[in-house]
Amino acid sequence: MFQYEFMQRAFLAAGLISLIAPVLGVYLVLRRQSLMSDTLSHVSMAGVALGSVLHLSPVLCGFLFAILGGIVIEQLRRTYRSYSEVPVAIIMTSGLALAMVLMSLKTSLNKSFNSYLFGSIVAVSETQLIVIAAVTVIGLLFFVLLRRPLYSLTFEEDTAAVSGVRVKLLSFAFAVVTGMIVAAAMPIVGVLLVSSMIVLPSAFALRFAGGFASASVLAVATGMIGVFSGLTASYYTNTPPGGIIALILLAILLMGIGVKRIVKLGAKRRIAKTGTHSSQKTHQTTQTNQTLQEGALK
Amino acid sequence: MILCSLRDIVFGYENEPVIRNVSADIHAGEFIAVSGPNGAAKTTLLKLMLGLLKPWSGTVQFTAELGRSRVSYVPQQAASFNSGFPSKVIELVRSGCFPELGLFRRFSREQHELVEETLKAVGLWELRNRKIGDLSGGQKQKACIARAIVQQPDLLVLDEPVTGMDAASRIHFYEWMQQLVKQEGRTVIMVTHGLDEAQAYLDRVIYLEGKEESDVSI
Repeated sequence: MFQYEFMQRAFLAAGLISLIAPVLGVYLVLRRQSLMSDTLSHVSMAGVALGSVLHLSPVLCGFLFAILGGIVIEQLRRTYRSYSEVPVAIIMTSGLALAMVLMSLKTSLNKSFNSYLFGSIVAVSETQLIVIAAVTVIGLLFFVLLRRPLYSLTFEEDTAAVSGVRVKLLSFAFAVVTGMIVAAAMPIVGVLLVSSMIVLPSAFALRFAGGFASASVLAVATGMIGVFSGLTASYYTNTPPGGIIALILLAILLMGIGVKRIVKLGAKRRIAKTGTHSSQKTHQTTQTNQTLQEGALK
Repeated sequence: MILCSLRDIVFGYENEPVIRNVSADIHAGEFIAVSGPNGAAKTTLLKLMLGLLKPWSGTVQFTAELGRSRVSYVPQQAASFNSGFPSKVIELVRSGCFPELGLFRRFSREQHELVEETLKAVGLWELRNRKIGDLSGGQKQKACIARAIVQQPDLLVLDEPVTGMDAASRIHFYEWMQQLVKQEGRTVIMVTHGLDEAQAYLDRVIYLEGKEESDVSI
């Protein structure tokens, strides 16, 4: 499989994205913005379509649209403070509608849009690989260098603002980084499943990690397992990588939940058993005390 | 010394003013309660003071000596905002040191000791490795207060801090706040409905009677 250059590129690109996408996912889930990645991927597709129609670089246009979408969502989030899902719905609908209309203007592009929708190993070009590498470096620098203010921001925005975190600026920077990562991940998993690579590993990690830092590490490990095994399976079965990666990550999540349930159930039974035993003991002690009291009364 | 001065503050939501011409001075080294009936805009007043809301008119001025990192705030039922937060208790409380540490500085031995002392003071030292989401409401509230104290603020602003605490914890909390004010010279402002219980420890009460404010000294 690795004798093909496109497979080497695909694995390199997937490895890079799985380093950064799950970390972003941890923050998105905790900020109640899980659907943001899905929304931005739709917006990005509108950018790709516009780029094609105007004979500009579709990759660059998709990238810029995703960043712009992130900024607009953040602005709308401030307007609709009490309904945080409304901006996501507004932008997702707008992005998809725009993409549909633009795509209808250039029907010859429908085939290549398929690879954007579902992801394709061959879709990862040299240019995209460079873009993905740059995004990964920027993303890692962002999350590592700003981990302290990001932690405070994610826990509670008002306390973060009072303690000196520049909440608005950091939130907009976060939206820009989100847009960049989503646009970079699109060629691998496709528009429709981009959030699987961002949200599923973090959903798994947040159930099992003991602390904040370990949640990010576990999410990255889960993402890597899903992405590498998904790409391999996709190569041998000639199926879209996005679907396979999403299914593997979903299987990991479901297995994790199942194992945790079984462990919890076992622990509950043990406690219940010990509890019954000790309550029987208490009952016996009470009876003995009563007998002693009765004896004393007599 | 006046730490914070509010002058003729007017603020409202939509077109309805909820605060009209409120003025108040917060002096250094005071333990102040903000009280009043439901809907009297107590939380709104705190948020205006902290710059989280902008008044329609009027001014909020802090003394130049009070840097941003010297103010800490615990919102109403702070812990319930993000109950699935994957942090251990000690990790969350340590994050109170972030404003002082900035982006890169490492924790000092004194800061580790302060975190330990504070966790012991709120009775959470034994639970320090538990996840914050696994604690009860009252314990979460204590963890959030501990985080604010670890920041070593000159001004500590607490919105209904004793919600969810049992009676013994509430008394211990008031004593602790009084000690912070009297022995360490810090300033504490808290919103409370439990004036009867807290009165013995307070220096002053700012009572909001729906849109207006009366300053009560104890």
